[in-house]
Amino acid sequence: MFTQRNKVLLVTVLVVAVIFSFASVMMAKEYVPGTPLKVGFIYVGPIGDLGWSYAHDEARRICEDTFPWLETVYVESVAEGSEGLYIDKLIMEEGCDVVLTTSFGFMDGTLISAQKYPDKIFAHCSGFKRNPNMMTYMADFYQIYYLNGLIAGALTKTNKTAYIGAFPIPEVKRHMGAFAVGVRETTPKAEVLVRWIYEWFSPTAAKEAAEALIADGCDVFAFTEDSPTIVQVAGEKGLPSFGHYSPMYDFSPEYVVSGQIAHWEAVYLDFLAKVYAGAYTAHNLADVDYWWLLKEKAVEMGAKPGMLMNPAYEDELKEKKVNDPVLGMISVYDLVMKRLEQMSDPSMVFDPFNGPIFDRDGNLKVPEGLRMSVFELTTIDWAVDGIVGPWE
Amino acid sequence: MGWETWIVTTLSRSLAYGTPLLLGTLGEIYAERSGVLNLGVEGMMIMGAYSGFTTAYITGNPWLGILVAAVVGGAFSLIHAFTSVTLKANQVVSGLSLTMLGLGLSGMFGRGWEGKPLPATIPKITVPGLSKIPFLGPIFFEGQNLIVYMAILLVPLLWYILYRTRIGITIRSVGENPATADSLGINVDRVRYMCVLIGGVLAGMAGGYLSVAYRPAWTEGMTAGMGWIVIALTIFAFWNPAYGMLGAYLFAALYHLSFRLQPWVSPELLKAMPYAFAILVLIFVSRGTLKKRIGAPAALSLPYTRGEE
Repeated sequence: MFTQRNKVLLVTVLVVAVIFSFASVMMAKEYVPGTPLKVGFIYVGPIGDLGWSYAHDEARRICEDTFPWLETVYVESVAEGSEGLYIDKLIMEEGCDVVLTTSFGFMDGTLISAQKYPDKIFAHCSGFKRNPNMMTYMADFYQIYYLNGLIAGALTKTNKTAYIGAFPIPEVKRHMGAFAVGVRETTPKAEVLVRWIYEWFSPTAAKEAAEALIADGCDVFAFTEDSPTIVQVAGEKGLPSFGHYSPMYDFSPEYVVSGQIAHWEAVYLDFLAKVYAGAYTAHNLADVDYWWLLKEKAVEMGAKPGMLMNPAYEDELKEKKVNDPVLGMISVYDLVMKRLEQMSDPSMVFDPFNGPIFDRDGNLKVPEGLRMSVFELTTIDWAVDGIVGPWE
Repeated sequence: MGWETWIVTTLSRSLAYGTPLLLGTLGEIYAERSGVLNLGVEGMMIMGAYSGFTTAYITGNPWLGILVAAVVGGAFSLIHAFTSVTLKANQVVSGLSLTMLGLGLSGMFGRGWEGKPLPATIPKITVPGLSKIPFLGPIFFEGQNLIVYMAILLVPLLWYILYRTRIGITIRSVGENPATADSLGINVDRVRYMCVLIGGVLAGMAGGYLSVAYRPAWTEGMTAGMGWIVIALTIFAFWNPAYGMLGAYLFAALYHLSFRLQPWVSPELLKAMPYAFAILVLIFVSRGTLKKRIGAPAALSLPYTRGEE
C-alpha cells in the first residue's frame, strides 16, 4: 500500500507532529505573578470603527502605557464563531497569559477555550458564562442612556424621540428602556420611536434608518451603532443627538448634546493589576463579574471627555422645569446633575430602574420600592412604557 | 401623516441612496456590453471612497475629491482590463481579486483616516422656484446634491450613445461577436479597455459620492456590499441604462422603506426584501425565451483572441 519511502515520510511527519503537540502543552505554563504579563485582545470589529472596538483598543493602549510589565497584542474584525482559532493563535504562537474577548457572540468559544487551556486566564465581555479561569465584565451605559433620555425629553418639540438599535438583544433593550424612562420623566407624553438595523456596524443602514425616523417626525436622536453616521445625519438637519461609545462631538459640534463614552481601561487596569499581583489566577475567577457603571467610573456621560453637555443646549435645559415628587420643581439641567451625582455615589441612591416601572402593555414590571437586579437587567426583554415600534 | 409625505420622502431618499447604485450600474453596463464581466465593482468603489475622502480632507475641496475618486476608480479598473483583455485571464477570478485587493488596500491605507470629520462636503441645493412645485419640487429640487442630477443626466446620454451612435454599435458588436467586429476592422481590445475604464470611473465616482457626499466620513468597508448589488442591477437592467435607472431607484426605495415600514411589517422580512427582489429578477431574466430576446451580450466574460473561435 505504501512504498518504503512514503512510510518513512509518514512516520517522520507523525513523530514531528507528536513532538510539537507535546511541546505546545509543555509551553502552556501558568502565569507567575510579578513577571511580565502578555495579554491578547480579540475584537469583533475594526479598531477604526469609532465605536465598540475602538473604545476597547483605546483602553488597551492606556493599559500598555500604564503598566511597564504589560505587553499586549490584538486581533481585529474577528467573526463571531471563529474566536477559537484566534485564541489558539494568541496562546500557542504569541504566548499570551491572558486572553480578553470583547463581543457577546464570543461567549461559547471563549468558554471552550478556557476549558481547553485551564492554566490560562480568560475574560469575556458582556456575557454570563464563567469558569474557574474565565471571568466576565461589562461597562454598562444604561444609567447614561437614562440621563440622555432626560435631556432628550426636554429638547423634543414633536414629542417623538428616536432610538436606532443594532440588534434586539437585552443589552440594547435595556438601554432603550433606560432612555425611555428618562424621556418620560421630563415629558410624560413623549415617545421613543424605535428602528432596528440588524448590524453592529452599517453606516448606510444607520443613515436610512435615521432618515426614516426624521420622516416620521422624530427630532432627537439616540442610537446603538458603531459609527458616527446618525450624529452626522441629525446634525445635517439641525437636530440634536447623543454620541455613542466614543466622543462623536467633532462630527457635529453644534448638535451633539451629550453622549455615552466607555472607559474600559477602568476594568482592564483593575483586573490586570490583580492578575499581576496574584489576586486573580486561573483558579478563582468563577464568581468574578465586573458589572461596572458610573460609580466605578467605567462609563462617562458626555459629548466628549470632560464635556458633560454641549454648552449650546445649557440655557434651554435650565429653562425647562419639571416637578419631581422628591426634588420639587427643578430644571432639567439641575435634575441631570442631581441624578448623575446620585448614581455616581458609591451607595447608588438612585437608579433608573427603580419602581414603579410599567411595560408598554401596561403591566407593572418593577413594583414601587424595588430595583431591577443585575440579572433582570441583563436579561430584560420587555419594552418600557413609551417605546413605540418593533420589538423582536 | 398623509400619504403625500410618504411618497415625497420615499422618492427623495430613493434618489439619494440610489445614486451610487445608479453610477455603478451604468458603468458595469458599459463594461459588460463590450463583453467584459467585471466583478471588481466593490473594490473600485471602495478605492474611490477612500481616495475621494482623503483628497477632500487634505484639499478641503469635495469636488476635487469626487474627481480623484473617479480617476482612481478608473486606474484601478485598468488592472482588470489588463488581466482580462490583454492577458486573457479568467474574468471572474480577476474581478474577484480586484474586489479583494480594493478592500484590502483601502483598509490598510485608510487606518489613520478613520474617525475624521470632513470639513467640507458636496453641498445640498434647493432650486429656487422649482422646489415649490407640488410633489416633484420636494422630491427632485430640495436637499439633493449636484451628483444626483449628474447621475440622472448620464442616463439618457449613455443610453443614446449605446443605442443611437456608431460608438454604441461598435461596443455592442464587440460584446456580441468580437470575431466579426474584428474582421470589420474594429480594435476589440481597445474598445474593451475603454468600456472597462468607463466602468471604473463611474464606480470610483460612486464610491466618492458615498464618502464625500452621502455620509461624509471614511470607514473601512463602508461600501458594504453595494458593488454586488450593482452586479445584480446590471442584469436586472437587461444591460440597458434606462432600466438601470429604474432598478437602482427601485432598490433604493425598497431599502428606505425597509426602515419606514418596520412598525407594521416584520423587520427581518423587510430587510430581505430588496435582495429577494434582486433574486426574483434574476430568475425572471434567466427564463428561456426572455433570455434569447434580451439576454446577456453573447461574448460576455469570454476573452477574445484573434483567430480562435
